[in-house]
Amino acid sequence: MRAVIAEDSVLLREGLARLLGENGLEVVGSCETADDLLLKVRSYSPDVAVIDIRLPPSHNDEGMQAALEIRASHPSVGVLVLSQYVEVGLAMKLLSDSADGAGYLLKDRISDVKEFIDAVQRVAEGGSAIDPIIVSTLLSRHRSDDPLTELTPREREVLELMAEGRSNQGIADKLVISLRAVEKYVSSIFGKLGLPSGATDSRRVLAVLLYLRS
Amino acid sequence: MVDSALAQGLPMEEAPRMPNAAVIGLISLAGAAAATCSLVLALRNDTISADIGEPLVIALLSVWVTTSYILCGLIAWWHRPASRFGPLMIAAGFANFLASLAWTTNEVVFTFGQALDLLPPVLFLHVFLAFPSGRLRGRFDRWLVVTAYVTAIGLELVRMTFGYFGPLNLLEITENADAAQAATRVQLTLVSAYCLTGVGILVARRLRAGRPLRWSLALLADAFGLALVMIAALLMSAAWGGPAVQQIRWATFAALSLAPVAFLVALLHSRLARSSVGDLFVELQADPAPADLRAALARALSDPSLTLAYWLPNYGCYADQDGRLIELPDADSGTATTRIDQGGAHVAVLLHDPALEDESELLSAVTAAAGLGLENGRLHAELRAHVVELSASRARIIDVGQKERQRLERNLHDGAQQRLIALSLELSALEARLADDPEARARLDQARREIATSLEELRDVARGLHPAVVSGHGLEIALEQLAARAPVPVTLAVDLDGRVSESLEVAAFYLVSEGLANIGKHANATTATVEVRRLDGRFIVEVVDNGGGGADTELGTGLRGLADRVEALDGRLRVWSPAGGGTRLRAEIPCAP
Repeated sequence: MRAVIAEDSVLLREGLARLLGENGLEVVGSCETADDLLLKVRSYSPDVAVIDIRLPPSHNDEGMQAALEIRASHPSVGVLVLSQYVEVGLAMKLLSDSADGAGYLLKDRISDVKEFIDAVQRVAEGGSAIDPIIVSTLLSRHRSDDPLTELTPREREVLELMAEGRSNQGIADKLVISLRAVEKYVSSIFGKLGLPSGATDSRRVLAVLLYLRS
Repeated sequence: MVDSALAQGLPMEEAPRMPNAAVIGLISLAGAAAATCSLVLALRNDTISADIGEPLVIALLSVWVTTSYILCGLIAWWHRPASRFGPLMIAAGFANFLASLAWTTNEVVFTFGQALDLLPPVLFLHVFLAFPSGRLRGRFDRWLVVTAYVTAIGLELVRMTFGYFGPLNLLEITENADAAQAATRVQLTLVSAYCLTGVGILVARRLRAGRPLRWSLALLADAFGLALVMIAALLMSAAWGGPAVQQIRWATFAALSLAPVAFLVALLHSRLARSSVGDLFVELQADPAPADLRAALARALSDPSLTLAYWLPNYGCYADQDGRLIELPDADSGTATTRIDQGGAHVAVLLHDPALEDESELLSAVTAAAGLGLENGRLHAELRAHVVELSASRARIIDVGQKERQRLERNLHDGAQQRLIALSLELSALEARLADDPEARARLDQARREIATSLEELRDVARGLHPAVVSGHGLEIALEQLAARAPVPVTLAVDLDGRVSESLEVAAFYLVSEGLANIGKHANATTATVEVRRLDGRFIVEVVDNGGGGADTELGTGLRGLADRVEALDGRLRVWSPAGGGTRLRAEIPCAP
């Protein structure tokens, strides 16, 4: 699995490169500007690009723009955006109409190596990785007549993990339950929320997020 | 007036004295004598009727020109001793008389008079160009007039040496018809050209002024221009044998005598204008601080372009009555300035049409009357200037604070936060290598947790310092997060069509943030609406809830800070909170469309 990294802090860029390298990814390029990133993506066609949202020169939205451009022009390249703040609005902007090969995580997450590598791999394989903070922020908007209130605590847990982009197997591993049980929870959740079931992992991410945001 | 003299680059003069009554009387007598003399010479000369037509008509026109110029010159001199215009007009009148000496039968007097034959047209040119100060304004004007004098007199002397002026010509050396005709044509054509150039200068001046003249001055300028055109026509016709020389000559004399009449009319008009000073006095006595003293003065002086600039000693500058800075114009900008002092202290400056300098009495009377309202106006201007300065400094302070907070946020983001994340990553790497030392792993894990907590705290600090997402991604994205985290479901409507200035965005962000937080604290609301839009050059932010209302509309501390921020941007923050009717927080800030 091949990755490129765009991060303007040297310390973090090298740390990330080493982390990915030590965990079975091949880092084919690392850079500090959005232009450089686009060049490397074009030249190497990596499986995933790990991008800091704030890149030079203005440190405003260069990273985000680069991520959107890669998603538009290189759909086969997974895009994982890292940020020191996560914003619901930016998550929705990044996903736009598809969660395929898209990730948006708080930068702190990289120190939880196992989880982080798992997220990178999911995105590289065309799945998604959405920060738990985004999911919990959306879930925290309660309404009295909300179908969400009908979910059992276990179903709620499954919903959160699903919205983060995990596969059924991933959810089963995380909750230490059987795959079968996860499938049962998922279909029950979809039934309660009135969502069409049977979508792929990343399709259902978008469906759930849109449902939560509405 | 001193200012205007300086503005024309002239040295200061002693206060001009009124011309002595005896001098005036003497000149009047001399003028009367000169006119009588011209009349007699014209009527007694046999050659006039052959050369230039009906002697009586010519005599009367010539006498009228001489006397009207001398009379108007005397009035102008008496009226404005400082101006050379009066003496110049008197000189023009006498020059006209001297030229008529060519109608004599005495050889010496004839030769003298004939030599000055073309002096009057050039003197008229000089008079017209020198209006109103009596001084020629620029190097080109001076060059033109001097050259015209040299041409008129010099070439006349040359012509006379070639003969054809009759037996009385003492300067005749030879009789050479070709040379005489050539010299005549060159001379008359040149003098015509100078006169037409003079017309051009008058037109250019009027265009440059860029303002409509008062009608009396316009009439005067038209009379000047017409006279010069007629002189040129007459001379050209005479030089090249054009038609109807005689009729043109009469018309020229008539046009020439229009100028003094127009001058008297203008004088009368400005005398009448002075009655407006009486109105001004009445107006100012009834209300010593009229809303707009400038407008009252402009009316009294019938100069719509008038500007009243108050001197603000505390600021060392001039300002209008709303406290806005006024730069005094340059000397050659076509605007004249008149200082107004009271009790030895400088109070204000009037910026006005230079033509008003011509009516110094009116100007002095108006400025004296204005004294009643000036001090009030100046205090008002000073107060307004304070307000303008204070609001500018408040906006600056908030802006500087904003920039500083933004800088701190950047430093935290690029410094401490990045380092902590890198450190945490380093600990993870270390942890992986200590697979067989559970105790060390546990302690590293603990350390990582501490770092995670620190990062969260830092994030809160940084977010409190400056909403970086607003600068980075715009208001709509930033508000979506606020709405998502709000204590009640929020309907968000942002209709901006592009970004607005960062200070507006940041103000709106804080306003929504505080508004939503307040709803959570005490509104008992179940839903809220946030609306941000642009309307007719205003930026409007509204946070409305459906709670119990009755909130303290005297802005609490949190809202007070927001109100400061909004007011520093020239906006207004309002809170409506009728009991049982929800709470509405609305900010309106002017913004470029």
